[in-house]
Amino acid sequence: MTGLGDRLLGLGLLVLAVAYGWVAQQWPEPFGGAETVGPETFPTILAVVLVAGSIYLMVKPDPDAQWPLGRSAVELVVSLVVLVVYAMLLEPLGFVISTTLAVGTLSWRMGAPARNAFLTGLISAVVVFVLFNYGLALSLPGGILEVN
Amino acid sequence: METLGFLMDGFAVALTPYNLMFALFGAFVGTLIGCLPGLGPANGVAILIPLAFTLGLPPETAMILLTSVYAGAMYGGRISSILLNIPGDEPAMMTCLDGYPMAQKGRAADALAISAIASFAGGLIGTIGLIMLAPVLARFALSFGPAEYFALFLLAFATLGGITGKNPMKTVIAATLGIMISTVGIDISTGTQRYTFGVLELYEGIDFILAIVGLFAISELLFFVESRMGGGRKKMNVGKLTLTFKELVSTVPTQLRGGVLGFISGVLPGAGASLGSFISYTLEKSVIGKKGTFGEGDIRGVVAPEAGNNGASSGALVPMLTLGVPGSGTTAVLLAMLISLNITPGPLMFTQNADIVWGVIAALLIGNVLLLVLNIPLVGFFVRLLSVPPMYLLPIVTMVAFVGIYSISNSAFDLYFMVAFGVAGYFLRKLEIPVVPIILGLLLGPEMEKNLGHALVLSDGDWSILWASTLAKCFWLVAGLSLVLPYVVGPVLRRRMNAAMKESPASD
Repeated sequence: MTGLGDRLLGLGLLVLAVAYGWVAQQWPEPFGGAETVGPETFPTILAVVLVAGSIYLMVKPDPDAQWPLGRSAVELVVSLVVLVVYAMLLEPLGFVISTTLAVGTLSWRMGAPARNAFLTGLISAVVVFVLFNYGLALSLPGGILEVN
Repeated sequence: METLGFLMDGFAVALTPYNLMFALFGAFVGTLIGCLPGLGPANGVAILIPLAFTLGLPPETAMILLTSVYAGAMYGGRISSILLNIPGDEPAMMTCLDGYPMAQKGRAADALAISAIASFAGGLIGTIGLIMLAPVLARFALSFGPAEYFALFLLAFATLGGITGKNPMKTVIAATLGIMISTVGIDISTGTQRYTFGVLELYEGIDFILAIVGLFAISELLFFVESRMGGGRKKMNVGKLTLTFKELVSTVPTQLRGGVLGFISGVLPGAGASLGSFISYTLEKSVIGKKGTFGEGDIRGVVAPEAGNNGASSGALVPMLTLGVPGSGTTAVLLAMLISLNITPGPLMFTQNADIVWGVIAALLIGNVLLLVLNIPLVGFFVRLLSVPPMYLLPIVTMVAFVGIYSISNSAFDLYFMVAFGVAGYFLRKLEIPVVPIILGLLLGPEMEKNLGHALVLSDGDWSILWASTLAKCFWLVAGLSLVLPYVVGPVLRRRMNAAMKESPASD
C-alpha cells in the first residue's frame, strides 16, 4: 500500500495529540482561580491542531519514502549504538579514549580503512582535548587517564 | 543620519581586535562549512552555538562570530557547485548551471573568482538594504500589540515552508510538534508543571540548543551512514586565473540586479535564498536574452545566482533582527543564540541592545570584505579540503557536537537527549516532515503563548481580539494564503526550477 509511512505517522501523531490534550485537562486549577488563559489553554489548542493535521496525513498520505533495508539498516543501528555508548562511556573512560573509539568506529563503518579511522579518532580526540583543557580552560573528563 | 551614527558605533564594536579576530575565524569556518558536503549553514551554525556559549563570549562577540559563519557559508556553497556540480548548500544550486560548465571548459579559477566578487557585491547590497530597512521596520513594529505578534508568529510558521514547499500540512504539523516540545517544563505564568512527569531534568524545559544540534547534526550523520557516500570525490584542477578586467566590468549590472532581487526575496517571508538565486538567474537570462550562452558556462550565469543568494542571506536577517521572527533555518538558529544570550529579539533590541545589533551589522560589512580577501587567494586551500572524504569528516563533526553539548551542562543526560532528537530528526526527515519549523516552534512557542495570554487579558477574555486590528487581519490573510498557495502555484514553480536544472546539458 502506498503512503503507509505517512499513515502510520499520522496514527502515531493522533495518539500523541490526544494524550497531550488529555494530560493538559488534568492539571489542577492554578492558585488564584481560573483565568481565560490558564496553563492548559495553549496546549489544548495545539492538541486540536495536531489532531487535524494527523487526520489529514492519514486521509491524504504522500507516497512512501525509500526506507533502508538490509545492510544500510544494520549500519544505521550500529551508528546509533556507537553514539549511545559514546555518551555512556564519556565520563567513566574519559574523553580521549571514548572519542578515539567512537570516531574511529563511526568512520570505519562509513568505509575508511580501520587503521586510518582509529588514527583519525585518536588525533582528533587529542587535539580537541588539548585545545579545550589547556587553550580554552574548559574541562573535559580525563577518566582513567587522569593523573592526580 | 541617526542610522549613520549607530553604524559608526557598530564599527567601533566590530573593529576591536578581539571581535575582528572572531569575525575572521567565523568567515573562515563559514566558508569551510559552506563548501563541505553534508554540512549546511544551519547545521554548521548550530554546532558552533554551544561552543560560543561555553567559551563565555560576550553577546556581541558571539553574534559576530555566528553571523560571520552565516555569511561565510553562503560564499562557500559555490565552490562545490562550480567544481563538482554538487551544490554545497541549497541556495548554491543555481550556481551549478553555469559554474560547472565553466569549470569543464578549464575556466574554474575564473568562475571561482568572479563568483567570489559577485558574492561580495550581493552581500554588500544586501547589507546596505538591511541598514536602510531594518530601523524603519523596527520602529513600525513598536506599534504591534500582543494580538499582532500572535498573528505574526502564525504568519512566520505558515510561510516557512515557502511557496515552493511540497506539503504545507507537514509544515503545520512540524511547527505544532516544536511548540508542543516548548511547553514542557514549569509554566512561566502560573507555575504549573507541564509534561514533566516528575523528571527533575525536565522542570526547566527542554534546552532548544540540544534539540537543534540533534535534529541537524546527528540526523545528518545518520543520513550519510544510510546513503553510504563516505568515499569522497575526485579532485578537481582549478587552473589559472584568466579573468580580464573588462569581463569583470561587464558583469557589474548583473551583480547589481542579482543583489537587489536577492535582498528583496530574502526579506519577504517564505521566499528565502534559494528562490532569490533562482529569480536572479531567470531574470538575468531573460534580460540578456539570446546574446547570452546560459547553461553553457556564461559568466553572468554564475554572477547572478551568487549575488542573489548572498543578497538574500542579508535580507533574511531583517525580519529576524527587527521582529524576532526568522524566515529561514539558519536565521532561526541565529535567533536561538540570541535567546540563549538572554536578549529579547524584536524591535526593542534596536534601542536596548543597539551595540549588538549594529555591531552585527557592521560585522557583516567587515565580514564581506574579509571573505572576499580570504576567498580569492585561499580558494586552492578550500578546494583541497573538498576532497576530504565525509567518512573522516562527519564523525569528527559529530564529536564536536557532543563536546559542545556536554560542555554546556557537563551531563551525559543531555547527550542521550541529543541522540534521541537525532533519531527523531532522521525519521521525520525521511517522512518529509521538515525540521526547521520544529526548531522555530521550540523557539517561538513560549513567546506565542505569552502574547496569547496578554492579548486575552487585555480583551477580558474575548478571543476576537486576535483578529480585531487591520494589521492582524492582514497577517492572518497572508498566513492563510501561504498555506493555500503552495497547492496552486507550488507545482508550477517547482517544475520550472527542475526544468531549469534539466535544460543545462552538463548537469546529470
